[in-house]
Amino acid sequence: MNMKNNEYESAYNVMLLTNCRTEPLRTSNFKWRMAEHQIEDPKIAFAYLRPSCVLLTKEPTSANVAALSGHLRSVSDGALQQLQDYILFPLRFVLKTPGPKREGLIQVVMEAMTYILENTCVQRWESLRDLFSELCLCLCSPQDPGKPAMTSEELKISVLGCLDTLLHSAYGDIVFKLYEPSMLPGLGAAVSLLLALAEQEKARSVQTASLKCLLSLFLQCDCKKEHIEPRQHERYLLGSALATFLPGISRALSLVVSGDVRQGQAVTVKSMRFWYKTVGLVMADEQLEKTGIDKAAGDLGRVGELIVKRTPSWRKSTSQRLAIVLQRIISCTSAHPHWKVRLELVNLSHHLLSQCSQAVVECVGPLLEALVGAINDEEPEVKNRCNAALDDVAQKGQTNGRQDFTDVLSENLHSLASSLPRLMRTSDDQRKLFVLNVFLGYLKILGPKIDVVLTSAVHLERISKALMQVMELDVTDVKIIEEKSLTSSADLRPDVQQIPSQRKYFLYFTDDKIFSALGKICRMLGYYGNLYLLVDRFMELYKESSVYRKQAALVLNEIIVGAAGIGVETDTPSQPKTNQEDLKSSIVSIIEEYISLSNWHLPTVSEALEGNPESTVLPVNNNLERNSLQLLPASKPQTLHQLNSNIWQICIQLEGIGGFALALGTEFSLLLMRSLYPVLEKAGDESLLISQVAFNAMCDFCKACEYSSPKELVIKNSDYLLNDVSLNLARPSVHPHAPRVLAVMFTHSDASLLPLVADVVQDVLTALDLSYDQRTPQFCSVLNSLMKALVRWFPNMMGHQKLPTKPRQNSTCVSLRQFLLDYKKQKELAEGIGVEDEDPDDLDIPPPASASDEDTEAPAVKKELPLHIQIAKDVMERCIHLLSDPSLRIRLKVLDILELCVCILREQEDELLPMVHRCWPALLHRLTNDDPLAVPRAFKVLCVLGDSCGDFLRRRVSKEVLPRLTASLVKQAEISARSGPVYTHTLAYKLQLAVLQGLGSLCVKLDLMDADLDHVLDACVPYLSCRQPIRLQEACLSVFRSLMDLDSDLCWFILNQLYCPVVYDPPHPLLLPVKLSGANKPRNQFTDNILKLLQELDGEPEKPDIDASHDR
Amino acid sequence: MARPPPDPLYILRGSGASVNALHFCCGGDRPPLLYSGSGKGAVHVWNLSTRRAERVLESHAGNSVIWLNTFNNSRSCLISQGRDMRVCVWDLSEGRSAVTDSLHTGSVGFCQCSLLESRLGSTLLAHPTQHMEEVSVVEMSSWTQVCSLKPDSNLGMLMSMKMWQADSGPVLCAGYEDGSVVLWDVSHRRPFSLLKVHPEPVMSLDVDVCRQKGISGSSENILQSWRLDNQQSLQMHDSIQMTNPGVSQLRIRADGKILASAGWDNNIRVFGWKKLKPLAVLQHHTDMTWTITTTA
Repeated sequence: MNMKNNEYESAYNVMLLTNCRTEPLRTSNFKWRMAEHQIEDPKIAFAYLRPSCVLLTKEPTSANVAALSGHLRSVSDGALQQLQDYILFPLRFVLKTPGPKREGLIQVVMEAMTYILENTCVQRWESLRDLFSELCLCLCSPQDPGKPAMTSEELKISVLGCLDTLLHSAYGDIVFKLYEPSMLPGLGAAVSLLLALAEQEKARSVQTASLKCLLSLFLQCDCKKEHIEPRQHERYLLGSALATFLPGISRALSLVVSGDVRQGQAVTVKSMRFWYKTVGLVMADEQLEKTGIDKAAGDLGRVGELIVKRTPSWRKSTSQRLAIVLQRIISCTSAHPHWKVRLELVNLSHHLLSQCSQAVVECVGPLLEALVGAINDEEPEVKNRCNAALDDVAQKGQTNGRQDFTDVLSENLHSLASSLPRLMRTSDDQRKLFVLNVFLGYLKILGPKIDVVLTSAVHLERISKALMQVMELDVTDVKIIEEKSLTSSADLRPDVQQIPSQRKYFLYFTDDKIFSALGKICRMLGYYGNLYLLVDRFMELYKESSVYRKQAALVLNEIIVGAAGIGVETDTPSQPKTNQEDLKSSIVSIIEEYISLSNWHLPTVSEALEGNPESTVLPVNNNLERNSLQLLPASKPQTLHQLNSNIWQICIQLEGIGGFALALGTEFSLLLMRSLYPVLEKAGDESLLISQVAFNAMCDFCKACEYSSPKELVIKNSDYLLNDVSLNLARPSVHPHAPRVLAVMFTHSDASLLPLVADVVQDVLTALDLSYDQRTPQFCSVLNSLMKALVRWFPNMMGHQKLPTKPRQNSTCVSLRQFLLDYKKQKELAEGIGVEDEDPDDLDIPPPASASDEDTEAPAVKKELPLHIQIAKDVMERCIHLLSDPSLRIRLKVLDILELCVCILREQEDELLPMVHRCWPALLHRLTNDDPLAVPRAFKVLCVLGDSCGDFLRRRVSKEVLPRLTASLVKQAEISARSGPVYTHTLAYKLQLAVLQGLGSLCVKLDLMDADLDHVLDACVPYLSCRQPIRLQEACLSVFRSLMDLDSDLCWFILNQLYCPVVYDPPHPLLLPVKLSGANKPRNQFTDNILKLLQELDGEPEKPDIDASHDR
Repeated sequence: MARPPPDPLYILRGSGASVNALHFCCGGDRPPLLYSGSGKGAVHVWNLSTRRAERVLESHAGNSVIWLNTFNNSRSCLISQGRDMRVCVWDLSEGRSAVTDSLHTGSVGFCQCSLLESRLGSTLLAHPTQHMEEVSVVEMSSWTQVCSLKPDSNLGMLMSMKMWQADSGPVLCAGYEDGSVVLWDVSHRRPFSLLKVHPEPVMSLDVDVCRQKGISGSSENILQSWRLDNQQSLQMHDSIQMTNPGVSQLRIRADGKILASAGWDNNIRVFGWKKLKPLAVLQHHTDMTWTITTTA
């Protein structure tokens, strides 16, 4: 042992001497580390280090190594560089010493070597080669050099670290010798060793260290240190060398990548990186283009067999195998839980696509798929990286104009489109979303080339059918049919506040994200594709079958929006490709199709469910529908699902029209002419869903055409609406909803609409005359809204209330004498004495019949009436006929209208009275012989009439109405007095109540006199009973209160007849005592109410008990 | 079964009174316009793209506007004739609406003027005068009278006329109260020929210059078409029987394919012009139709 040491020492000295002679010249090449306490001079350093070196060679112990490495720290890098071989020698000597070594020793040696190599460069090829092989030897097991040694992890790590440092410190001009064919066996051994470590080692850090080593070995390291940048021919050399090991590398790394997820992302990431760097080098397009460079290496003997010749056939077979490996890697990593892995996958795809897309044609498809699949990654970094990569790839693909790239993409797209329906049916939501994102990614990369793809009929067919199948709606939700809109369409809110749209349910997915991805796909198609082509295709599908109709409409909606550049994520915020004119003409044609009779007026209400009169028009419509469409055999009733489906179709179409408006912007104003009416029609649909969606569409119109609210929209475009209304009124069987739209317009417009609408109103009336049997309910509602509007538009006439006929006299006290004088005067008047000098007021009670006569006598000189009066008159005329309509509902409605007509005509009494005269018989019939529901309503009209033309009606009422009313009141009083609490829910009760409530004021307005008042009071008295329902009592009290205004004496007398609480003693014994029949009666059922009334009579500040007529 | 007649494409509302005159202006790439003159003197300029009145001109002091025309199909210049016995020329360019010129015709009748724009730039206007049977032709730029045409025999009031450019010079066809139609040679101020077409006044006439054929209607239920032979003499040609009497206006479309009549029975009738075959009865109006026009 000693002998050997001495030998080394002497050899060492010699080596040192030679070094000392040559090295000082080259020191200037080095960058000196300016450490103050470090030894700069190589000679001093040598002298300083020598003892520890010698000692180490003599005694290879850990302590000695530590001593040496301690001394090394005080030597500068420059000196160290010069002494590199000398210092390394003892360390290598330790390693080379045969026999078992302690791991601790080797580890410190490695640390020392690492330090040296870190701070110096390896300049000589021999040193590099020897060190490399020695380090490799340390890693492998002594028994089997192919297998890693069973040493501790720490040792492995330090050896690997040292190896890595060695490769980093190797000089650029010598390192490439490693890859020369002659080195292949050694290199191969090292590679397989490192791969084995990466693959089999359990410790994560060892795995990463060995992978890092591998990366450095092929100059692909990505650490922060300086690296050699291989030039082209050097890269070629690297590629050739790696080609030999490619199968092994791929096998091992694919195993690592697909290994347990618990191995940590760093290992996976590193192995992916090494793999794709390797593939990128071996299969680089630039290298494979010139395979001729492969030199015939005949002189290499057996080693020559190892060399791989990268011929086209080799490329092909390799590429196929790589594709398999790639698939495996992608499948393991595309949904890896750690984002760094997914990021690395993006890097992988990008690297390979940019480096060797031509060489590995078979892999381009999967690579693109992986790349586009990450486009919607939840991790923003991945997403951004992916976007950048895609842009780069797309740009390269587009600028190079390489046909094959487009081909691959369209091929991918085609196969994806083919499998899309299947995937959507079978896989889970996450997977579906991924697939759709991939689809979207393809479209994005294709960009304007989508057009090329779509011109292929097969592709278009595939894609469109796939979309049709995927987007199939689930129409089984019955709730949709059941939900009825309670608010009428007349209810336009003043603001543009859209109702959140109802969620659509699809057969094949539930996640909203999926729907939005589909929307993006369609928009992307619209953005890049040929609009006419797409619209044609999907319109074809739309018309082809009712199965596709909803989906096709959905797709069309999105395509148009996309074509306008809305909702499309593009890299360049460029102008939409489609010009406005094309867009407009496409939109026009789609809207025409949407609102065509057969697609717009779909039955949405089952005939069986029809209860309300609004929908009575539908059966006609249904039949028409069926005949024209032949969707169903005419005999079969619509199933709920079909109705539901119809509702959805209308909704989708409405949404579409709204979207088109947004797409066109203000240009849409011209299309309002066509589309506003249908939308408004649907806004009043009975189905809640439809009306909401239609309202939303109107909001879209407002946004597009810059109206502040739907109301403004309707008002400003009333001329367009009216046009459709008037045209459609003529065809009520086909367009049953025109009256509804008209009603909405009336509700929202102002008086300026009237001139425009005059002829339409005439149309309505004509239409009513022509088809009063079927459509009366609708027309009635129109007339009702029209009259309401008129009342609103001409309110000043409402203000012109008839003055209260009896202004109350406020005098607190009227003497008896004055009373008697007045009474006498009245009496004389009644007898016709002194009429001529009486007040002219009496003249305004002309005989009513003569007034109307005058009117009819001279129609020729009648001046033109104001429009609204004329309309009201015309409407009232219809009311006369409709008052006796067999349907109760209509009669009620007509009574409402009648009331409004009277309100308007009130200002022109000479028009009102003849009309009242004409409608009196019918109204009388309502009051006397009609349904208990109609009577109260008719009574209300009577009250209004009384208000407007009191005198005119007095006689008629007292003769024809009052007797019956009072008789029925009396009759009912007995019943109600004996009834239980349930009675208040009966119609009879309601009738009683209504009559009692109105009777008082009616009497006042009609200014009823003695006998009539007697009747009324007689009829009312029973209701003062406390046995009557409380509300009837109250109503009765109100009658009395009114009558007390009219004739308080009479009231007082009647009340006292029933019950007299006070005894009236005559002021003088000569006078007869007052005998009232109510006096001395015991307390009875009337007492409470009578007391109340009498109290009011007395309590009032001494009301004048003078007949009202006296004041006039 | 014959198809029902079509519905109106659109109803322009809001003219406020009866419409007595109509004129299309479809030149250029701008949206087509329709001018309408109302019985209360308002001239509405309808934009046929938006189908709304672009502007409303108050003219002729509230008197009925009975005739409207434009020069060279340009939008900037409108000419109107009203019952206030005036013909006005309007400048409508750049949003202006001013009467630049006016001519007092003195005519109290309903006869519409006729405009002839010759290629040389001079524009002739034939208008009725205060003498009921006289036609005066003036040069528009200077309002100088070119000639005055008065029939020798008493034909009654001038009812209707049309002027056009023939090879020999401007020609005027005029219909009179006694039902005769006279073809005038304007340059020589003499009649070419006279034809007694109707027993009743000629309410309206129109001439298809290409086919040398014209048509006239009166208060009876017959539309009578006549021919102009090479010697510019009028000859009876064909006739159509209508169900209801009375025609307010007749128009032959510029392409010579369709003849339209505005009848007193509220209906507009459309005929094939070549063989006078009835094509459609357009029923929409609820009152007498006064005027119709066709696009150029």
